[in-house]
Amino acid sequence: MIPASLATRWWAWAAAACVGSWAWTLSHVPTVVAVGSGCATLIAVVLLLGHGLKRYRAQQASAALAPASGGAPDAAATAEEDEIAALLRETNKEIGEIPPVDEILQSMEADNHRRRLEDLLRRWVDVAHRYSEAALVLRKEIHAVVQHTEQAANTISSSFQAVINKATLQAREAMELLEGTQGGAGDGAPQSLTDFIRVSDERLTKMADEVVRVADLSVQMVKELDGVQSRTQAIDGFLLDVEKLADQTSLLALNADIEAARVGEHGRGFSVVAQEIRRLSQRSHEFSDRIRQHLKAVKVGLHKTYGDMRNLSAADMEHALKIKQEVLELTRSLETKNREVAETVSRINTISREIAQDVHNVVVSLQFHDITSQKLKAMLEPMDELRRTLFHLMQETMAVGKNLLPTRPAEGAETTTAAPAPPAEDDAGDSVIRKLRAVGAPVSGPSVELF
Amino acid sequence: MPTIMTVDDTASMRQMISFTLGSAGYEVIEAADGAEALKLAQDRKVDLVIADVNMPNMDGIALVKSLRAMEQYKFTPILMLTTESQADKRDQGRSAGATGWIVKPFNPEQLVEVVRKVLG
Repeated sequence: MIPASLATRWWAWAAAACVGSWAWTLSHVPTVVAVGSGCATLIAVVLLLGHGLKRYRAQQASAALAPASGGAPDAAATAEEDEIAALLRETNKEIGEIPPVDEILQSMEADNHRRRLEDLLRRWVDVAHRYSEAALVLRKEIHAVVQHTEQAANTISSSFQAVINKATLQAREAMELLEGTQGGAGDGAPQSLTDFIRVSDERLTKMADEVVRVADLSVQMVKELDGVQSRTQAIDGFLLDVEKLADQTSLLALNADIEAARVGEHGRGFSVVAQEIRRLSQRSHEFSDRIRQHLKAVKVGLHKTYGDMRNLSAADMEHALKIKQEVLELTRSLETKNREVAETVSRINTISREIAQDVHNVVVSLQFHDITSQKLKAMLEPMDELRRTLFHLMQETMAVGKNLLPTRPAEGAETTTAAPAPPAEDDAGDSVIRKLRAVGAPVSGPSVELF
Repeated sequence: MPTIMTVDDTASMRQMISFTLGSAGYEVIEAADGAEALKLAQDRKVDLVIADVNMPNMDGIALVKSLRAMEQYKFTPILMLTTESQADKRDQGRSAGATGWIVKPFNPEQLVEVVRKVLG
């Protein structure tokens, strides 16, 4: 038996190799490594042994069969043959009981199909669940957006109303102010700035005219005084004539007295007359002197008055003209100011009209809110419809798949039996609103959240 | 001064209409939906109604029909002010008895002009 002797030789060689390598290893390699390599060697040896044993047995079996198939017909062999035949019949029977391959394949395919269907249904239910939740979230968000835009639009619109109300008030008050400064006077008393200017101008002009008239009068008086003075000079001349006459009369009286003395006793009466005439002439002289003295005083007085009058009239005239000029300038500047006020007020009026126009535009644009919220609300209905449809589909799927999907406990428990009603409007966007407030607050809230 | 009733479920719309017509010298009363408007119209005489179409409780078309059924509102002008611009909605409004159809957004000057025209 060649394989047996071979196996024996393997044994011997392997053992020798083992002993040799062990002896060498002990002397040359550290213990841990030696044990490791020893184990490896042992495993290799066991494997080799196993292999050898298997081959040996196979050879033994073929050696035993060889006499049975084509061997001599002895009693032991016949018994063995019967036994083998019985075994063969048994085996054939068992093989007959095994279903044909096609059937097995079909049943496997059906199984596979069912599993895929189950998987698909599960996925479908999952998707339906997820999307109906997403639809709910979307609904809340839309609601929040509608609420926010409504709030914002309300605030903006009331703010703009306040603006235009104030602008209107402003314009009206400006107009009243303008009417106050430009309006007509009632009963002579000045009621507006224009009236005041007009009345004061009239009165001042009148006063200035009066002053000018007085000045004119004094000029005339000065002229009159000139006449009076020349007349006093004439009187002076007349007085000289009177004095000359008195002197001549006195001389005549003296001559008469001499003539009376020459006549003697008869001329005594005439001499008395002559003396009386002389006395009269002297008195006439005295009168003339006194008149001259008075005339002198009058002349001095007149001269003084003349000078005063001249000064007075000149000063009056100048002053009156100056005042008139000043008043005129003052009036002009007041009028200019008044015109400026009127222009400003009219500009204010124009601006208010422009503001009103702007606010009208704002009113138009602000209606976007109503339009967008209606459009958004229109989105809610199909969304709810989608949720309802998804829910019913889910329920039906669950019912159909109850047999197919025996092990899905959480799925059915979560979704309730009633169709999902839209959530209450109040709490719908609550969390979203809170989130929005935290980030960018609407109108009045702080835009930064501090912790 | 004629009294005008504005019916809209959006507060800011009512506010803007009130403001626009109030500035033009009209007395304006507000209602948030058709039902409220109907109650107000029964309590007092309204010379003109400006109503939205889409509203909760009672919509604009139903409001027009109810008002037209009342003796004192048989000939009162009723203007619809709405975002709806489809012809079929408009026809519904017309057959219900509405006087006019204004599509939002309205222009304040134009609204005042229309109001003046329908109030004669």
